[in-house]
Amino acid sequence: MSTTFVPRDRLLQIISEQQTVTAAATETCGLPWWDAACPAPSLQPLNEPRAAQSPKGFFLPAAEAVARYGREATTAVETEAAPLVLIGVRACELRARKVLDAVMLGGDFKDPAYERRRQQTTVIACDCLTFAETCFCPKVGGRPYATEDFDINLTPIDDGFIAEVATEKGHAFLGDAKFPEADSKQLARRDELRRQAIERLQEQNAQFDFSADDQSQPALPEGDSPRWQQFAADCVECGACTNICPTCHCFYLYDQVANPEEFERVRNWDSCLFGTYHRMAGGENVKLSPQPILSSRLANRVLHKFVYSPQQYDLLGCVGCGRCIDACLGAIDIRQVVAELGE
Amino acid sequence: MISENVYAPVPAKLVEVIDETPTIKTLICMPDEPLPFRAGQFMQLTLPGVGEAPFTPSSSPRQADQIAITILRAGAITELLHACHPGQELGLRGAFGKGYPVEKTEGKDVLVVGGGVGLAPLRSLILVLLDNLEGVNRLSIKYGAKCMEELLYRSEYDSWQAHDKVDFECTIDNPQEGWDGRTGVVTTLLTDLDIDKSNCLVFVCGPSIMLKFVTLALTDDGVAPKQIYLSMNRRMSCGMGLCGRCNIGPYYLCKDGPDINYAKIKDYPNVF
Repeated sequence: MSTTFVPRDRLLQIISEQQTVTAAATETCGLPWWDAACPAPSLQPLNEPRAAQSPKGFFLPAAEAVARYGREATTAVETEAAPLVLIGVRACELRARKVLDAVMLGGDFKDPAYERRRQQTTVIACDCLTFAETCFCPKVGGRPYATEDFDINLTPIDDGFIAEVATEKGHAFLGDAKFPEADSKQLARRDELRRQAIERLQEQNAQFDFSADDQSQPALPEGDSPRWQQFAADCVECGACTNICPTCHCFYLYDQVANPEEFERVRNWDSCLFGTYHRMAGGENVKLSPQPILSSRLANRVLHKFVYSPQQYDLLGCVGCGRCIDACLGAIDIRQVVAELGE
Repeated sequence: MISENVYAPVPAKLVEVIDETPTIKTLICMPDEPLPFRAGQFMQLTLPGVGEAPFTPSSSPRQADQIAITILRAGAITELLHACHPGQELGLRGAFGKGYPVEKTEGKDVLVVGGGVGLAPLRSLILVLLDNLEGVNRLSIKYGAKCMEELLYRSEYDSWQAHDKVDFECTIDNPQEGWDGRTGVVTTLLTDLDIDKSNCLVFVCGPSIMLKFVTLALTDDGVAPKQIYLSMNRRMSCGMGLCGRCNIGPYYLCKDGPDINYAKIKDYPNVF
């Protein structure tokens, strides 16, 4: 690990020389993440709060063909996974990717497309020095800056960035350029910025009385408790929270015609809030869904984040990015849900 | 062997279709490569271009190259699977899940309780246990179906109970002309159980409501939850614990089941 100081203009130059770059949004491009085609790349997003969307879709696209089969042959679809550099990834998003890794790669069966995309990606992470109103990472054991799982981490400071280079991929990104080691004054300044950032996040969430992390979580009522109803009453089953969530990974496989000789199997995001999500076949007198009631489905989602995921993967399923709060049409605030129902 | 791409089906030729009952057919599939499985593990059966549905093979795991899948006509895809004919190309993906804990039956009284098409995965278990009857104390099979015509694998009951250690009893829901056997739901066969309850293991498969009442009858009768394995089949899509839709609490029935110990799940809502 080396810690250097990279001036802004030099970083922008390095980025412009990359083949495939995708970075957090600028308003210039009007996109949640700009890519190499963006007419006016800027480093401004690195001083702004996390983007409206997480980079989940770069690893697990909303819909993707995962297999192809036909009468003659069953072949794996080669996922196009060109090398990709993601710039401006936040600590919460890296923590979320850890959850996705545990699900998609941690068991007996690995998702090949996810694995390929994952390997092809270079992650340039970035500290959060400003936040969305809904950010609450310290409430769930997070920090607004990353200490692991990145290739390079940037901390905006003065006229540039303190760059913590953690991997070979990180060194490759910076290329031959030589930068001075960050000096002790700069490092002290970084520590101070980080300390202040946590303090401000804690202040902004002072009204929500709960705390959770990977090791300990508040006890929540079971899914059939009527206490969930007060929140379920505001849920319109739109699925926005599950789509926007950086750790939600539920999907459905469906088959379609790829060409006259072949069919393809598509992995498509799904939402556990939908009434059809668990629905099964069956005739009369058969219970078609184990979760027929919306409040129990809403409960299942929150319980998965705060209870089941720690049991399954030793990882909390909520990283405190607050996107589900921004996205919810019914103004359900997961901080309030956990604070009110948790014990 | 599961194919390298976990989502791709192994091509499987449909070699025979057996009409079991008016609503149930058995499809004998011959995969291009053997697909080893343990009794109770399930597979995703592909109808090309249409999609997949999860089924637990009803045949013996000794035959990994010729796999029987017994299917109740219950919805869109099973309707289409019932219309398949020999020679047609299907696909199989699997095996998934834990399978029945056959090794735990050593020295035990084994009670198998089936309802309707739920006898299908249990048949695979029964065939495994029949292969190794020295291992168990005894094997008691209780089975219930809606009516006479819906009794599954009728021609095999005699050969099952021909073994000393095996007894078989079945019932249909209501009296019917030409039927002189037991009537009533399957729990009526559990009222005067002649098994060693302190040293038994029970395997149950059937519709949700049947699982519920069999479990209640057994636990009321002194069988401990940890002695009961339930086939908790849900809408598994991936089969590997990735897609998320088959959870009971932290358990994914596709990888932690589908036959799961009742003690693990009994305190969660929406089990039945």
